[in-house]
Amino acid sequence: MKTRALKKRVDLYLAVVVFFFFTADAFAGGLAAQEVTYRLKWLFNISVVGDLWADVNGNFARRGLKVTVKPGGPERDAIKELELGRSQFGVASADQVIRAVSKGAHVVVLAQLFQVNPLQWIYRPARTPIKTPQDLKGKTIGITYGGNDEAIMRALLAKYHIRENEVRLYSVRYDYTPFYQGKVDLWPLYRNAQAPIIGEKLRKAGERFDFLNPSQLGIQFVANSVVTSQKMLAQHPQIVQRFMEALLEGWRAALNPANRQKAIAIVLKFNRETPAEIIRRQLPVTRSLMLPTADFQFGKIDVEAWKQTEQIMLAQKLISKPVHVENLLKPVAQ
Amino acid sequence: MLYRRLYQFFMIYFLGLASLMAIKYGLQLSDYVIPGPPEIASTGLRVSGRYLLNVLNTLAVAILGHILAIVLATGIGIIGRLTAWIGSFIRVAAYNIQAYPIVAVAPIIFILLGDGLSSRLLIAAMICYFPLLLSFVGIFSEPVPEIEHFFESTRRMTWRLQIKIRAFENIHKLITVVVGSATLAMVGTIVAEFIAANAGIGYSIRIALYQSDLAKILVALFLIGICTSLYLVLLEWIGYRIRRRWAIPEGGLK
Repeated sequence: MKTRALKKRVDLYLAVVVFFFFTADAFAGGLAAQEVTYRLKWLFNISVVGDLWADVNGNFARRGLKVTVKPGGPERDAIKELELGRSQFGVASADQVIRAVSKGAHVVVLAQLFQVNPLQWIYRPARTPIKTPQDLKGKTIGITYGGNDEAIMRALLAKYHIRENEVRLYSVRYDYTPFYQGKVDLWPLYRNAQAPIIGEKLRKAGERFDFLNPSQLGIQFVANSVVTSQKMLAQHPQIVQRFMEALLEGWRAALNPANRQKAIAIVLKFNRETPAEIIRRQLPVTRSLMLPTADFQFGKIDVEAWKQTEQIMLAQKLISKPVHVENLLKPVAQ
Repeated sequence: MLYRRLYQFFMIYFLGLASLMAIKYGLQLSDYVIPGPPEIASTGLRVSGRYLLNVLNTLAVAILGHILAIVLATGIGIIGRLTAWIGSFIRVAAYNIQAYPIVAVAPIIFILLGDGLSSRLLIAAMICYFPLLLSFVGIFSEPVPEIEHFFESTRRMTWRLQIKIRAFENIHKLITVVVGSATLAMVGTIVAEFIAANAGIGYSIRIALYQSDLAKILVALFLIGICTSLYLVLLEWIGYRIRRRWAIPEGGLK
């Protein structure tokens, strides 16, 4: 009798153990962090310092998110990854968003990272004095055919009624030699990431340099922004909210001058190729492009700039019909 | 031969396209990820003229690069047959140099030679040169004892005669490797244009990629396929003519 009771008890214990063994995953899943993937636009560099900060310093984890931050690159397209379900969040430039929407993609913009487009043109004032846009006439201007800089430069030329045959457009690549040699007067680069490197070389060669900033000449062409799919926003608004709160918090901390050393250390951890001295120079430039004024609200979406970007793309026939981009701007965490 | 090559290419291309469409409609992807048939058709009508000229430009460079590679490989192959040591040294050098990815070497070439024709030509030749060289060194170093013995024993053997005998005995292999390397020359040229040139279909593909325009890339692939097929048919025809010319008549040598 006793043996039978003991056996029953053992069976019960066993059943409980087996039950917990097979349901442990489900329990854990309910309590575990929500996993999402965040695809950046470019490789790990200064332009993603806030994204890395939020990851490394646990901003995502504190909001119950386990975020895999993946570097971007020339072959990576965050919007395509959103549609294919490989990523839930991504960084894309405004032209990518507008182009995607014009082709039926369902994407929304959650925050605008750069308030001033970092894509600008470097030139040597001693050799190429440029005081007004009209001074561009007769100059050799580097552009990447098919790239953002082509659209921006064409918009600039159109705005100031400079015909294409009044300038020489030069197809540029990664090799700066034509600029160093003086074959090209103005060369496009990312003001925050590349300019400190190129500028250093020119400085060593004893040359002065300056930048042509299209936004100062009235061309607002929006750069990197945080995007997600309409489906993600509709079905998981809480996750989107938590993600954006964590991300913006991370960015604000990374750009805070008090956290300068820590921010540089984070970039160095992910990007060993760039010397600390260069990153030290890149950081304040990045800050000025993302926070134009001290009290600026990080991530704010500049609706008028987005509308102008769409107008530029329409004018240059990069999209066939308006997409009414203002309807895609959803700053959920501001 | 021409019709067979072309319809085989059409079959492969349209099967690939059908698979893409199956993925697109199966996963309900937008035209941004995979363009639909109307967009591909309209893009084709819009850009095919310009793209055809670009493909012909690329093909011209690829042919020049291919010829250059054949000439170089023949020359080095002949030198390589002199001693076993030189042959083996050339092979090892070829293996080592071939191991370097062209995307790493190309920027150096473009810095040295600029982004004009010479860089594209050199890269096209480099890509198809090594398979040619290895085959040529192998073929020219391999004696044909049953024929060579006669000329050696009669003291009539010259280096030219030796090359002719070895080439004649391995003409099928030579033609196969020359035809096979033609596609590599085309690939090499496109890669070169993609990396740094300012002309050719590789350059157009790069711009299309910047614009996330897969429809343009599909049109480019279609035209590249047709032009490459035509070039291969031409090479096979030349090979066929050479074989016929070199063939021993049925009645034997008179």
